[in-house]
Amino acid sequence: MTKEEILIQYLVENQARFYRLAYSVLKDRDEALDAVQTAVCHALERQSSLRNPEAVRSWFYRILLNACTDALRQRPRTVPFPEGFDLPHEDPEPAGGSLARQVDALPPKMGIIIKLRFYEELSLKEISQATGQNLNTVKSRLYAGLKKLRIAMEGAEIS
Amino acid sequence: MNEFENAKNAYGSTPIPPELAGRVQEGIRAGKDRRRNRRAMAVRRWAAAAACFGLVLAGLNLSPTLANAVSSVPVLGGLFQVLTFVDYDKSEGGIDYDVSVPEVDAAGSLAEKVNAAIQEKVDQHLAKAEQDWADYREAFFATGGTEEEWGGREMNVMIDYEIKGQTDHWVSFIVTFAEGWVASYEERNYYNLDFAEGRSLTLRDFLGEDWVNTCNASIRKQIDARTDAGGSTLFFAPDEGGFTTVDESTNFYVREDGIVVVCFPKYSIAAGAAGNVEFAIEAP
Repeated sequence: MTKEEILIQYLVENQARFYRLAYSVLKDRDEALDAVQTAVCHALERQSSLRNPEAVRSWFYRILLNACTDALRQRPRTVPFPEGFDLPHEDPEPAGGSLARQVDALPPKMGIIIKLRFYEELSLKEISQATGQNLNTVKSRLYAGLKKLRIAMEGAEIS
Repeated sequence: MNEFENAKNAYGSTPIPPELAGRVQEGIRAGKDRRRNRRAMAVRRWAAAAACFGLVLAGLNLSPTLANAVSSVPVLGGLFQVLTFVDYDKSEGGIDYDVSVPEVDAAGSLAEKVNAAIQEKVDQHLAKAEQDWADYREAFFATGGTEEEWGGREMNVMIDYEIKGQTDHWVSFIVTFAEGWVASYEERNYYNLDFAEGRSLTLRDFLGEDWVNTCNASIRKQIDARTDAGGSTLFFAPDEGGFTTVDESTNFYVREDGIVVVCFPKYSIAAGAAGNVEFAIEAP
C-alpha cells in the first residue's frame, strides 16, 4: 500500500470521529462539515509532510484542529446573548449528562485536551503533537481541566 | 466513573450528518488534484526554463515523468541553460531540508564564477543553519529544558530559486535561502547574467545613463502612492533610515516582459509588515 492509500483508508474509516471532534469544537453542523472537508483536502495535498505513516493520527488531528481554529477566526464577531438565554441548537444536544456539558463549558484549550484524551483516547504524546503544545503544557492543562471537572480519577489511566 | 462513561457515550452519539461521506470524498478528490497541480507547476516552471535554453538531458537525474514533460516541449537554441543541480527534501538531525540549487550551464568563465558563488552561499547557509540549530539546542538544555520538552522540534532549511525573466542571451533569477524555527531568516540573492557579453548586467544596462534618477523618481512616486492621506505609511522617513537613493549595490531582477524590478530586503526601508519591498521601474 502506498502512503496515499494508507492515508485515504485512515481518513475514510475515521471520518465520523473527525466530524464529532470538529462539531464538539465548533457546535455548528455546517462549519464542522466544512472543517473536515478542508482538513481532508489539506492532508492529501500535503501528504509529503507525513513522514511516519504510523503517526498519521496525531498528524491529521493537528490539521483538523487548525481547520477548526480557522473556522472560529472567520466567524463574525457577535454580541453575546444575555446570561441564561438558551441558544437553540441545530442538532439535538447529546443526551446523557451534566459532565458532557461541563466538558464543553471548559476553556477551549483545556476542553480539547480532555476530549482528545478521554473521548478520542490519544496518548499525551499524541495530544502534544496534535495541538503543537509541549508535553508539560498538555499535562498541566489536562490536570487543571480534570480538577475543574472534579472527577474522581479512580480507574482512569492518564499516561 | 459511570458519569464519565455517560459523557463519553454522549459525545459518541453526536449525530453524523448523512453528507459527511460525500464531503470527505470531495476533500480527497480536491486534495489529490491540488497536489497534482503543485507538482505539475514545478515541472512546468522547470520545463519552460529548460526549453528556452536548449536542454541537455545527459548527466541529469530525471524521473521518467519529468523527462517526458521536458522532451515534449520544443527545444530552442541558446547560449546557456539553468538547471536544478541539487534537489532534495529530507529530514536529518532535527533539520528539515528542502533544497533546490540552480546551476548555470554555459561556455565561458561567467557561468563557472556564478556557480562557484552559488555553491559557496549554499555551503555557508547549510553550515550556518546547522550551527544555529546546535546553538539553540544547547541553550535550550543549558537553561533547564528537558528531552521531553524538546520533543520533536524541527528546524526548516530552504533553498530555492526562481527564474524571473530571460531572453536567448540573458537570464534573471533569484536564489532564496531561508531558515525557520523560533525565529525566521531569509536571504535573497539576485543574478542578472548576460552570456553574450559574459558579465553581470547592471541597472545602467536596462535603464540607461540616467538610471539613478530614473529609479529614484519612480520609487519616490510609488512610496508616496502607498502613503495614505493622513501621512501614515509603512515606509521609514529618509532621515530615519528610509529610502534615499539606489546605487550599484541595489538588488533588482528583470521580469519576463523586460520591466526592471528594484528590490529592498525586509526591514531595510520599511517596517517588517511590508515584507520584501519591490518597485517596478518604468523605463524613461
